[in-house]
Amino acid sequence: MTIGQIAVEDVSKRFRLERNRPSSLKEALLRIGRSRDVDDFWVLRNINLTVEPGSFFGLVGHNGSGKSTLLRLMAGIHRPSVGQISATGRLSALLELGSGFHPDLTGRENVFLNGAMLGLSRKHMADSMDHIIEFSGIGEFIDEPVKIYSSGMYVRLGFAVAVNVDPEILLVDEVIAVGDEEFQQRCMNHMNMLRERGTTIVLVSHNAVLMQELCDTVGWLDHGRLLELGDPTSVVGSYLDHVASGGDNTLTTRD
Amino acid sequence: MLTISPAVRKSTNLIYNFAQRESKARYKRSLLGWFWSFANPLTTVAVYGFVFGIVYGARAPITDNGNAQNFGLFLFCGLVSWSSFTGVVNGCMGWLASVSDLRKKIYFPTETALLGGAAANAVQTALEAFVLVVIMAVLGNLSWTVVFLPIALILTMAFGLGIGFIVSVLNARYRDIQYLVGILLNVSFFLVPIVFTIDLVPEHKWGLPIRTLVAWNPPALFVGIARDGVYFLDAPSGAKLLAATGWAIVSFSVGWVYFRARSMEISEEP
Repeated sequence: MTIGQIAVEDVSKRFRLERNRPSSLKEALLRIGRSRDVDDFWVLRNINLTVEPGSFFGLVGHNGSGKSTLLRLMAGIHRPSVGQISATGRLSALLELGSGFHPDLTGRENVFLNGAMLGLSRKHMADSMDHIIEFSGIGEFIDEPVKIYSSGMYVRLGFAVAVNVDPEILLVDEVIAVGDEEFQQRCMNHMNMLRERGTTIVLVSHNAVLMQELCDTVGWLDHGRLLELGDPTSVVGSYLDHVASGGDNTLTTRD
Repeated sequence: MLTISPAVRKSTNLIYNFAQRESKARYKRSLLGWFWSFANPLTTVAVYGFVFGIVYGARAPITDNGNAQNFGLFLFCGLVSWSSFTGVVNGCMGWLASVSDLRKKIYFPTETALLGGAAANAVQTALEAFVLVVIMAVLGNLSWTVVFLPIALILTMAFGLGIGFIVSVLNARYRDIQYLVGILLNVSFFLVPIVFTIDLVPEHKWGLPIRTLVAWNPPALFVGIARDGVYFLDAPSGAKLLAATGWAIVSFSVGWVYFRARSMEISEEP
């Protein structure tokens, strides 16, 4: 296993959608013996890919195609239903607004908590604190509970933490789009810097230009399947052609 | 040389963070802070002491030198262990619920939240135990048997955590569990010899060996060992210690295995 590598081997992920799921013990007891109304929903099917250490990998696909689920599997939040997934190295993920923040804790406390989750010592986090505060531009709000933060502030702090903990793998979902132009530019610069340092980066975005500019490899997910994998220009190109041709993007739980 | 694997260091660090958060959050925005952690057991002791000791005129059992013969103290000895047990069991459900949203967005070993909460609970229990020992020392009712107090409390904690692991996972699915557990704990309080002594329990009733059942259930064993150590100043019997240790080990291991097997599903609960 190489540090910074993500190996996805024949991964499928099933979510159980339970219709009329009993929400209380009483209901559950009343239903004993009856068959459960369960729908299996395969969010991802037979995904095979390897993200090489130090490479910049992009994922495109319509809403609900499974991009975010794949990212969550890489982050270890969910376990694949079938197959193996391994991400070797210190992994930092920015999956959605305020991901990894506890609403009642202050920004500062959350930074320490996040550091602990990534396996970094308190001292390490204390040393990076000034830099994180400066990078996020959050100022004195750092000592306020994050629940009062605006969505922009959430993302700023989240990104500042994610990139300042010296990650070996960085997973970024669409979130940076929430920040303003200036902040987005700063994120791009920082991601480029991390890439030069050899960090493996996986980015999910709908911004085709950005993907073609940044990525070494792009994968196109459609209804949970990996349709194409390879050169950014050609993969993003065929994805855009598909969108333009009015491809079937309806969300469905059955197929 | 002692080497600690990164995974263990990471977990310890997280446990520390969760423990600190729990301690801080508990008395956030309160002026008297930690004072409240004493207020609760002390008022319980006072109220029960009044009702049973004065209204009903219950005589507390004689202590080693007779100085500390007091119904309130007799209760306090039992309550230290009991409140740590209920604190951990109830706490586990809350601690897991409080990180379940977080766990949907970032990976971390979920058990660290419960262990951290338990650590904060242990600090509070240690403070209560300290107060108890100080009172006993002032009254001159103290001997080497005081070592059984921390032993009883550690066993209580392990036993409570095992149950807490299980009920917290169940509670993540059905929130009814927390109410059910609350009721069961209330009932158990009166099934454990805390406000009464074991010899008041009839040996047989309804064809059941009631006294044996009450005496040998796990919380009663922990309460008994604590009381032997700081109230009666007797070493608890080997059988009692063995049974208590057995309960603690079985409960903790079963709970741990169950929790580890199910904790990945927490992130998929809607």
